[in-house]
Amino acid sequence: MGLGVLLLLGTGVILLATEITSGILAYIVGVLMAVALVGYVASIVRGTPETRRSVAPYALLKPGMLWLSIFFLAPLWALFVMSLSSKESRFDFFPSFTWEWENYQEAFTRFRPQFVRSFTYAGIATVLTILIGFPIAYVIAFRGGKYRMVLLGLVVIPFFTSYLIRTLAWTTLMNDNGPVMNTLETLRLVTVFEWLQIVDNGRLLSTPAAVIGGLTYNFLPFMILPIYVSLEKIDTRLVDAAMDLYSSASGAFRKVVLPLAIPGIFAGSLLVFIPASGDFVNAQFLGGPNTTMIGNSIQDQYLKQLNYPVASAMSFVLMIIITVGVLVYSKFMGTEELA
Amino acid sequence: MNNYRQSSSNTPRASRWSRRDFLIRSSLAGAGMLSLPALLAACGDDDGGSSSDTSGGGGGSSLVFDNWPAYIDEETVANFIAATGIDLKYLETYNDNNEYFAKVQPSLSKGNKIDADILAPTYWMAARYVSLGWAQKLPIASIPNKANLRSDLVGPNWDPNGEYSLPWQTGTAGIAYNISATGREVKSVADLFAPEFKGRVGMLTEMRDTIGLILMGEGIDPSKLSSFDDAAPAFEKLAKANADGQIRQFTGNDYMDDLDSGNFAVCVGWSGDVLQLAKDNPDVRFVIPEEGGTSWYDSMIWVTGSENSDAVAQWMNYVYDPENAAKIALGSGYMTPVTGVREVLEAMGGEEAEMANNQLLFPDDETLSRLRVFASLSEEEEAKFDEEFSKITGA
Repeated sequence: MGLGVLLLLGTGVILLATEITSGILAYIVGVLMAVALVGYVASIVRGTPETRRSVAPYALLKPGMLWLSIFFLAPLWALFVMSLSSKESRFDFFPSFTWEWENYQEAFTRFRPQFVRSFTYAGIATVLTILIGFPIAYVIAFRGGKYRMVLLGLVVIPFFTSYLIRTLAWTTLMNDNGPVMNTLETLRLVTVFEWLQIVDNGRLLSTPAAVIGGLTYNFLPFMILPIYVSLEKIDTRLVDAAMDLYSSASGAFRKVVLPLAIPGIFAGSLLVFIPASGDFVNAQFLGGPNTTMIGNSIQDQYLKQLNYPVASAMSFVLMIIITVGVLVYSKFMGTEELA
Repeated sequence: MNNYRQSSSNTPRASRWSRRDFLIRSSLAGAGMLSLPALLAACGDDDGGSSSDTSGGGGGSSLVFDNWPAYIDEETVANFIAATGIDLKYLETYNDNNEYFAKVQPSLSKGNKIDADILAPTYWMAARYVSLGWAQKLPIASIPNKANLRSDLVGPNWDPNGEYSLPWQTGTAGIAYNISATGREVKSVADLFAPEFKGRVGMLTEMRDTIGLILMGEGIDPSKLSSFDDAAPAFEKLAKANADGQIRQFTGNDYMDDLDSGNFAVCVGWSGDVLQLAKDNPDVRFVIPEEGGTSWYDSMIWVTGSENSDAVAQWMNYVYDPENAAKIALGSGYMTPVTGVREVLEAMGGEEAEMANNQLLFPDDETLSRLRVFASLSEEEEAKFDEEFSKITGA
């Protein structure tokens, strides 16, 4: 019974929030929900301890479920409906639902380069955050000593400034005549960086490297913190034991520390990859017209072209690709704790 | 918002527009642009209550004008408030026509109020507001100074009686360049495509100015386009340049930062912006290319849902007074729509009188003959142009 009421309330909230039902129907749904709720409360109040015990877990689920229904499921449903709608004219601001599957086709074909680019950039940024973040987390966890908390604080400090301001600060630092370029020129390193394809034609900004660099910088703490948590739990005596059994230092690292750190790396790469592939701020400010990511395209379709249906389809495609990717990834390297 | 400027009237002219000021302000505008527009629109009405203590007279009514950045002098707003007691909030968050339209569209299409009372969209966008019924009839009877306006700027074909829109200012799109980055003078549209500036060229997201200028470079008159095919060569040229990495970024009014810092060696720019920037940074220059430039005007409209008829009339009447219009023209560096401003400037003598002979403020017939207004497009044509343009700009 508890489950039944839970589902009924959730569906009711979605129906009302997305305005699928209106007028007299909405009234009926509302009354049904009220009756179910009253009956539910009554059965708890008047019921035996056994019924209470069987119903209580569902009651505890209720706030979370209502929250999800209103702020996740209902918008998701609205987005889905919009992605299959079509506009009658250019300035039709309320597209009507017509099973317009062409929206998905357009999202897939026309924006393929942006999709590919987003996942490439996000993938590279994730690998870079692991390469940079792991040693940092390692040092803090095992060599931090009494400065551990201070060092962790330093990792988190950038969050005290807005994400946007930090990215805009990069544009100032990496200007064509800015401090970074000037330093590179003074040290005669420009050719080296050009060979590495980080500097393009005398500029750092408006290159893929700048966008990937921005993503890496902005998401680094999301990698360090979970890795730190998983490393911090490791009993260092395990490493001693490995050494006692004639393991080399690198062998102990590979066979003891690294496997135990995998959950952290896994969690960190999800926390970095998912938001990075939908990010548009870095590509907007650090990139150029040939480095746009899918987030920029969605923003452009939504906010400049006013093409809500195609933009919704693009958002859905992005969500589906990420979900499938994450499932595959978790099969491949996930652990029981997270999968 | 933070962009609200309210300066004292005795600021020396040189410091009128400091570069840092501009950078900070435009970054904030950028930040504003990125936050959810719906949220911005939703929290719009909160501003009304805070009436500032500078309001001298009785009045007590308020007015919000959301305009393009760098589009007014520093004194006019304060002077207007002192003279009328109207609590004018002059914002500078209008960075791009399409972007702003998308921001206010959810509210206006539902018949709700937005936080601005007056906007100054470019003529073609003003036409869209009027045709969608999102502009109110102006209280023309209470704007006697309307008589001072240049007659060719009142009553365009989309508003034949001049009831819904009146011009704010008019200007030119041409080529702006930073000579410390180019190392030479720039004269022609072809310079936008010069290999030596690869990756350091800026283009405007304002399709009519970017495409219009390229069309002029190709020898095609942008005022005489009958279909998309006529403009196709310019689109192809732009697409190719973009694919080759010639273009660094497509920007709205925020191109001024990149031009100032030298990130853009050359870019498509607007005359007055560059004149203002040049006051602080003498390396920044503007030229109407030898092939010709485009000309445009921005129109003030009174959006639906706003109820400040009296304040709107007082503001428009105030800015169409030649004395006040002269201040705005000097401060912004654009052509004024008000007749008699030139005489006012000449009478002032000195530096101001020199400005009276500036071709960008008061173009002579020779200059005017090199300027073109982009052809007016039907709804379907405009959709086609916008779509093709958006394919190139990449986002």
